[in-house]
Amino acid sequence: MKDDRNIYSPIKARLTDVIEESPSIKTFVMVPENKFSFKTGQFIELSVDGIGEAPFTPSSSPLITEKLEVTVMKTGYVTEYMHMLKPGVYMGIRGPYGRGYPVESFFGKEVLILGGGCGLAPIRSLLYALESIKDKLVKVILCYGSKSPSDCIYKPLFDRLNRTEKFEAYRTVDKADEDWDGSVGVATTLLNKIKINIENSVAVVCGPPVMMKFGTIRLLEMGYKDDQIYLSMEKNMSCGLGKCGHCMMGEFFVCRDGPVFTYNEIKHNPEIWK
Amino acid sequence: MELTINDLKNVRFFDNYTDKQLNIFIGISSIKEFKVKDILFEQYDELNEIYVLLTGCLSLGISLAKEKRIHLGTLEEGQLFSWSAVFSPYISTAWVKATCPTKVMAIDSKKLILEFEKNCEFGFKTMSKIAQTISYRLSDTRFQLMNQLTL
Repeated sequence: MKDDRNIYSPIKARLTDVIEESPSIKTFVMVPENKFSFKTGQFIELSVDGIGEAPFTPSSSPLITEKLEVTVMKTGYVTEYMHMLKPGVYMGIRGPYGRGYPVESFFGKEVLILGGGCGLAPIRSLLYALESIKDKLVKVILCYGSKSPSDCIYKPLFDRLNRTEKFEAYRTVDKADEDWDGSVGVATTLLNKIKINIENSVAVVCGPPVMMKFGTIRLLEMGYKDDQIYLSMEKNMSCGLGKCGHCMMGEFFVCRDGPVFTYNEIKHNPEIWK
Repeated sequence: MELTINDLKNVRFFDNYTDKQLNIFIGISSIKEFKVKDILFEQYDELNEIYVLLTGCLSLGISLAKEKRIHLGTLEEGQLFSWSAVFSPYISTAWVKATCPTKVMAIDSKKLILEFEKNCEFGFKTMSKIAQTISYRLSDTRFQLMNQLTL
């Protein structure tokens, strides 16, 4: 049957909980009016009536279709308004859009995930997906950096992962406070402590552009090949359909052809780290 | 306590060395232990040992003045540091302090350089690894700097 719904029309989702992850980051737990499926790494357009919409990659498990979690950093007009929302209101969801992580191609391999800042949101969704297929993976290592201990989101996630068979999780902060007794330094310094069989592994990088750039350089120095590195690109996606051109990166519409690319696909693109 | 080849095989820095080469390291090294807050060396100290962190935790940083220390980061187990001990003028570019009970392998740098002269393959391999350590440190520092500039 032909779907006559306007492709830009969102479905309604009721906000059921708001979790404060850090002073500037909140997770919004929503129940969509219909079951909502996505592939980890795909993104959605999340809207607030009368305010606007913005793209986010869900941070919840792709295996759960009744509930959706999106972690939002307060950075502009729409996100500032979202941070004022209370449970009970309705938001709009369009999507899912784009190409997510090809988790089936990770079977039989070690997976190294390098994340920074709010980049842990899409990574958390990926981690849930990888936990569900851990029997088919050799191991999963998460290396995550945040600016300070208070900026680190999903703190319980690290202990849980370190108790999970085949998973290792490490975190560092750029600047420590008096209570912090863990690693200090940028996310790439954590790569000094891990043991990984590079030939039989893939690496996933997700975070702010500076971290993506230096993380990718370090992975290449370690011996990773261009097609072993997956980058989750955030390029101001708007329509989600490869029409409006807001997210164009050279020949690619990030919203349609990404947001997940191998480094090999985009390494010659001059806009890659912008 | 004496080091054995098996001890070194579990330490990242010594990956890909032959047993014979590991024995060279053992012959010119000792184990040193440090308590919390012990300073291993200060910035601008003359160095005559190159270290590998075996267990524990170390902070690294630079000083602006005697009492003004800037903490740049932590070192990870298996990492090499105090590489200035093998490069003229053999002066430390940073301070390193123990933040928990720590054990390091201290390699006599003058004896190490003599071993390089006797065994070029060993020297090349070791200097390549030291160069990689410095390259990673430089890259991390650039990353840290970019983070600050883009705040």
